[in-house]
Amino acid sequence: MTAESAAPPVFCAAHLLDSWDERHPQRAFAELAAQTAPSRPDGTPVVAGREELAEFLRHPAVHATDGVHFNLGAQRPLIPLDLDGDVHRRYRKLLDPLFTPKQVARLEPMIRARTDALIDGFAGHGEAELMSALCAPLPTHLFIDLLGLPLEDLPFFLDFKEAVVRPQGDTVEDQQQNMRVAGERMYDYLVTTLHERRTRPATDDLIAGFLVAEVEGERLTDTEIVDICYLLVIAGLDTVTCSLSCILAWFAEHPDERRRVIADPSLLGPAIEELMRFESPVPLGHRWVAEDIEIAGRRFAAGSTVEVVWAAANVDEQAHADPLTMQPARQRNAHVAFAAGPHRCLGSNLARLELRVAVEQFHRRIPEYEVAAGQSVTYLNYGVRAAVHLPIAFPVT
Amino acid sequence: MRVSVNREHCQGHAQCLVIAPDVFDLDDADGRATVLADPVPATAADSARDAADRCPEQAISVSG
Repeated sequence: MTAESAAPPVFCAAHLLDSWDERHPQRAFAELAAQTAPSRPDGTPVVAGREELAEFLRHPAVHATDGVHFNLGAQRPLIPLDLDGDVHRRYRKLLDPLFTPKQVARLEPMIRARTDALIDGFAGHGEAELMSALCAPLPTHLFIDLLGLPLEDLPFFLDFKEAVVRPQGDTVEDQQQNMRVAGERMYDYLVTTLHERRTRPATDDLIAGFLVAEVEGERLTDTEIVDICYLLVIAGLDTVTCSLSCILAWFAEHPDERRRVIADPSLLGPAIEELMRFESPVPLGHRWVAEDIEIAGRRFAAGSTVEVVWAAANVDEQAHADPLTMQPARQRNAHVAFAAGPHRCLGSNLARLELRVAVEQFHRRIPEYEVAAGQSVTYLNYGVRAAVHLPIAFPVT
Repeated sequence: MRVSVNREHCQGHAQCLVIAPDVFDLDDADGRATVLADPVPATAADSARDAADRCPEQAISVSG
């Protein structure tokens, strides 16, 4: 067994560059975007340029998976993430309307209330570690609300999230085994929940919606609902947690910009979009190529797994002027932080709303804050990028 | 000014309708963006251009 196969895999090709920096990875991502036909050491092709990425994702032979290996500890294809073609479109047609801007707007009061409740826990202390105090619990609370699940199950969801997104294990095999075990527990939980729900009177939440939803005249099976919920758990919790942590860390370190968005709340939405481009909390995804194809003169062989690096496309200087500068008022910002193509993030508008409302509410309660004296923000870029340790200090009023 | 949406490239991100609600909406039938205002009134021109600049699929064309 070589050293390489024994160690956890390098998460992204950009991590191998000399310019890689955990705190400021943008330079390495930009370098990756500028490379011609980049690949990982094992030969896995990497797609990192904005133009190439757009064309690649549109190609019908570019699939989510090879049909055998699924994302993140799943026993069956995650719905809709691991599906393609007509099957995929059917599910998206059912799910997309539940997550339009208008639909998710109804959740604004709940997001604000949950944010306030969490801030109540530390507003009087003059200090807080925001990842644990706000960023991790908030999306999980909201998710539980959205699915109508009991609040006491919050720790279970937090543990599961950690287990699959940042699997423990010294080797790939160990990590996959740990993810599988966590996944099995989550499947069991969801199956039990669904059985219970069918025996109760109708509730007004996402699960209730799934129970009556139809795809081409047919109801969803329990298995399909479980698979969708499983995906929502993976896709909707950690991503928002990490995004929120990156955003608050940035505002903690840029007081002038923070004051600007506080003075004029209409600036916050665009600032968050620009932070999504710059931070790219979900840095990459994978695709599988079903046939030999050519994209902008580059060949991809049938059967290839490809690493698609959103974070690199987001700082591609061919697509973004002065890409390494965070410009809150940046106009041309066709970023792919929520991916692109058929698998573009289903929950993107819910995420945007959560982020904007949480930051807005945080700033209403605690407008002045900074990284605690003598401490620093710790970034992790394994899985989703996050400010995993975000210690702040603030005046108590 | 006129805008059009390439409905094959559109994936329903819906940013256009958030940015320029007078110009774009979502088609309930297929979840793709549709154009409400053709031609685009002068008051909505800036937001329509902004929407085109921000479409992750670069599916919006602007002319005139």
